Amino acid sequence: MSERKDVQISVRDVAKRFDSRGADEGITALSAVNLEILRGEFLVLLGPSGCGKSTLLNLIAGFLKPSSGSILHDGAAVAGPDRRRTVVFQEYALFPWMTVQQNVEFGLKAQGMPQRERRGVARDLLSVVRLSGFEDRYPHEISGGMKQRAAIARAIAPSPDILLMDEPFGALDAQTRVLLQEEIARISAETGKTIVFVTHSIDEAVFLGDRIVVMSSRPGRVREIYPVELARPRVAAMRVDAAFRDLVDKLWTSLRPDWRAETGDVAQPA
Amino acid sequence: MGDRGINAMKLTRLSGSFRRFIGIGLLIVAWQALATFNVINPFLLPPPSRLVATFWDMLIDGSLLIHAASSLERVVVGFAAAAAIGTVLGVVLGWWPAISEQLIPVVEAVRPIPPIAWTPLAILWFGIGNAPSYFLVFIGAVFPVFINTFAAVRGLDRTQVNAALCLGAGPRLLITDVVVPASLPVIFPGLRIALGVGWMCVVAAELIAAQSGLGYLIQQSRMLLQTQVVLTGMITIGMIGFAMNAGMVWLERRLIPWKAGGPRS
Repeated sequence: MSERKDVQISVRDVAKRFDSRGADEGITALSAVNLEILRGEFLVLLGPSGCGKSTLLNLIAGFLKPSSGSILHDGAAVAGPDRRRTVVFQEYALFPWMTVQQNVEFGLKAQGMPQRERRGVARDLLSVVRLSGFEDRYPHEISGGMKQRAAIARAIAPSPDILLMDEPFGALDAQTRVLLQEEIARISAETGKTIVFVTHSIDEAVFLGDRIVVMSSRPGRVREIYPVELARPRVAAMRVDAAFRDLVDKLWTSLRPDWRAETGDVAQPA
Repeated sequence: MGDRGINAMKLTRLSGSFRRFIGIGLLIVAWQALATFNVINPFLLPPPSRLVATFWDMLIDGSLLIHAASSLERVVVGFAAAAAIGTVLGVVLGWWPAISEQLIPVVEAVRPIPPIAWTPLAILWFGIGNAPSYFLVFIGAVFPVFINTFAAVRGLDRTQVNAALCLGAGPRLLITDVVVPASLPVIFPGLRIALGVGWMCVVAAELIAAQSGLGYLIQQSRMLLQTQVVLTGMITIGMIGFAMNAGMVWLERRLIPWKAGGPRS
């Protein structure tokens, strides 16, 4: 990481409240969040459910507006979703009426790229995510892991500045999950794009992140930020490194009380 | 699954349709027998043999086709207008809650009025001929189309819309490539129901406000005491309605291939 900080996204004193009908005071999902996301870094938002990590991601994407505070992208306030910040969703959100190829082309079509050109770009991207040969399949014809690869290709297609990933591997089985973690580590190393990645898996966070933002709940806020001192590109062998295990343990200890509270397991001794 | 399994499946399917055929066959045989032994008055309910002969005669002399064609033309025109206006209105009102808040009460107040109740006004406004039938078909068909389209757009998967927005979709691409195709699986059953309602409406309209068509044929034959023609007309209406529904089901499978099987993604 360079000495001078090259800040790409700046989250300044952001709070988000959801009004709930009936209740006088809504739900405070986020409170006093300050965060700087550096150009080219892989930033992981980690925390138990209800800590507002997905809300924060949706705010950065522009799907939601902060109740107070501001979010700046290269110095300009985020006004709504745009193609400089594309999102990979947990439930894929592929368009089921389009083939894999058409899904990947969508963002290019939105830019007005001619059909022949975007076909080529989409094909190249599909080969990057190892989906060559599945271009003409519909999403319901391919596996969950393949859907998420397609969704990743679709999100990269309009060459965004930042890729926002909202628990992208949460719906996948453990094996597929590990494979896709390695895949995204490779893609991030190859493209050098800024990635913001939401997860509640400590292993995933340590394997992928340059920095890990630990969040805690009620109200959601940033509790601590841990740098990850592992070399890039990340490879499977690192999972048994002492540095890897140490950080996982540290994060476990840090997050244990939150997870306990979440499962109602407060009384049991450690 | 081995060959035997597939064969067994085919056999069950075959015997399934055969069983359905038995039901209809028994009904026809019983009906014919009751008429032959004078248990039922053949004037009030002509036997199947008489109906087949009448159907054949009217098919040969072309009268049945002419009446069917004018009914079909009316239902096509009225249905096309209802489909166009119903979907556009459904998308607009579904997408912009500010407009729908004003207009939904109007729709809900007009919707419960049976299309038949519009007949006097239709004749008053449009006279006798094709126009009142177009109008009555439209009135009957537009609500199922609108209601389904509106519900579909209202129930859109917000995540898919968000996905499209962050990929840079403008309003036009969002409507044509996301909102409309995402809504099709719900819009289409509405269209199918609308066509069925439209078909009923055209017959009702022709009973009163037309000089041709299957409804008119039935009405006229009743006055001429030709029960066998009344029944032939009714059976033709049933067959055409059945065929139209089957056609729509086929079209639905063709147009919405991603719903052919498997979960949503």
